Amino acid sequence: VQRSPLIPEMATQEVQLNETLAHLKTESETLKSKLEEERAKLHDVELHQVAEKVEGLGQFVMKTRRTLKGHGNKVLCMDWCKDKRRIVSSSQDGKVIVWDAFTTNKEHAVTMPCTWVMACAYAPSGCAVACGGLDNKCSVYPLSLDKNENLAAKKKSVAMHTNYLSACSFTNSDMQILTSSGDGTCALWDVESGQLLQSFHGHAADVLCLDLAPSETGNTFVSGGCDKKANVWDMRSGQCIQSFETHESDINSVRYYPSGDAFASGSDDATCRLYDLRADREVAIYSKESIIFGVSSVDFSLSGRLLFGGYNDYTINVWDVLKGTRVSILFGHENRVSTLRVSPDGTAFSTGSWDHTLRVCDDCYFFIGIKYNQNLCTFNFTPCAPDKPPLSLTATHLPKYSNLKKHIYRST
Amino acid sequence: MMSSKAHSSNNIANARRTVQQLRIEASIERIKVSKACADLMSYCSEHARSDPLLMGIPASDNPFKDKKPCTIL
Repeated sequence: VQRSPLIPEMATQEVQLNETLAHLKTESETLKSKLEEERAKLHDVELHQVAEKVEGLGQFVMKTRRTLKGHGNKVLCMDWCKDKRRIVSSSQDGKVIVWDAFTTNKEHAVTMPCTWVMACAYAPSGCAVACGGLDNKCSVYPLSLDKNENLAAKKKSVAMHTNYLSACSFTNSDMQILTSSGDGTCALWDVESGQLLQSFHGHAADVLCLDLAPSETGNTFVSGGCDKKANVWDMRSGQCIQSFETHESDINSVRYYPSGDAFASGSDDATCRLYDLRADREVAIYSKESIIFGVSSVDFSLSGRLLFGGYNDYTINVWDVLKGTRVSILFGHENRVSTLRVSPDGTAFSTGSWDHTLRVCDDCYFFIGIKYNQNLCTFNFTPCAPDKPPLSLTATHLPKYSNLKKHIYRST
Repeated sequence: MMSSKAHSSNNIANARRTVQQLRIEASIERIKVSKACADLMSYCSEHARSDPLLMGIPASDNPFKDKKPCTIL
C-alpha cells in the first residue's frame, strides 16, 4: 500500500532511494553477466576430454570388511580419528559412539540431551570429539582413558547457533571448531572460551555441509546449502571469495580434492559435481539416468582419482573423477547412506546409514593365471585388471596347489 | 511497523552487499579449464601408486583384510 507522504521532502527522498535501488539491481545483473562471460572465456575444454588419453580403470569390486552395530536409530554422521582405526558416529537416537573399527568394540558412548545428533567430528589429537544437532549447539567431549568416567560431566559447550547444527569440523588443532547451521551461517569458534571468532554470512538458506581446505593451501573452507550454492570462504576475513550455483537442489556434502585446487559436491539432484577453484567453474558432473536418488555424502580416495558417493537409494557409487564414469556400485546397507568418509591413510572407507549401522569397506579384485616362483617359493598371480599390482603369496596362504591352475581367483 | 523508507534502506543495504560480493567474485584471476584439468590429472597420476583403494595393497599391510588372501571361484 503506497502511503502518500505528507511532507514534499520525504517524497523526494523516497524517489531517490528507489532510484538507487534500481541502479544497484542493474549493476548486480551486469556483474552477474560479466562473471558468466569471464568464466565462459576460459572454458576451452571438458575434464573428460582432457582425460581421454588417461588409462581407464576397469571395474572394482567393493567389499564390506566390518559392520558396526550398536546405534538404536539412524546413523547421521561419522568421522575418522587420525590414528586410522577409531571412528566417532552420531545418531538420531541421541548417542555419540567411539568405535575401534579394527575390533568393532565400542570404546566410549555419550548420550546427548537431544535426539538427531546431525554432526560429529574427531579432534586432531584424538583426545576429544565434537557433536551437536537439534540442540543448536556444538559441544566438545574430552575422551577419558577411564572407561567408567562419565564423559558428559566434562562436556564443553562451544558453539551456539539459532537453528540446528548441520556439520562441524576442528581446524588443524583442537583449539578451534568450524560449524555450519540451519540458521544459514557458518562460524569459527575458540574451543577453550566458546568465543565466536568469525561468522560467515552469504547463504540464503540452511547450510548443510562444510569442508576445510587441506592445510597446505591456506585458510579457506567450502560450504554447501539448501540455496543450491557452494561457497568458498576466507577464514580470516569472513569474506565469501567464490560461489558456485549449478546444482538443481540442496547440496548435502562438499569435499576438497586432495590437492586443494578443486572440490566435489553431492546433491539431492542425484548428481555429484567437481568444481575447479582456479578455473572458477564446474568441470565435471557425475550422473547416470538410472541414478535418481539424492547424494548424501562424498569423499575422494587418496590420489583424487576415485570419488565415493553415498546415496539415498541405499547404494554407494564410485566414480572415476577424470573420466566421469562409474567404476563400482556397492550394495549392503538396508536404508539410506547418510555419511561417508575415506580413512586418513586411504586404505578403506566407512559409511553410516539410516539402517542403524556403520560399515567399513575396501576393494578386492580378481586374478587370473598363476606362476610358481621356485627361488622364492611364492605363487605369483596376474590381476585381471591391467592397472592392478600382481600378488605374490607363499603356500601357507593358499589352498592346495593342484587346485589352483586355470582358475580365476578373488582376493578376499 | 517499518516505514516504507526503512524498507527501502534495508533493500538498499542488501543490494549494496550483493553488488560488493559480485565485484569481488568477478575480479578474481582465473586460469583456463584445460590447464586446471591438466593439473588435476597430474596430481592423480603422481599419487596413484600410493592410493590403496585405487591400486590395492597386500593383505599383510591392510589391517581390515583377513590374512587368507584369496578364494577360488
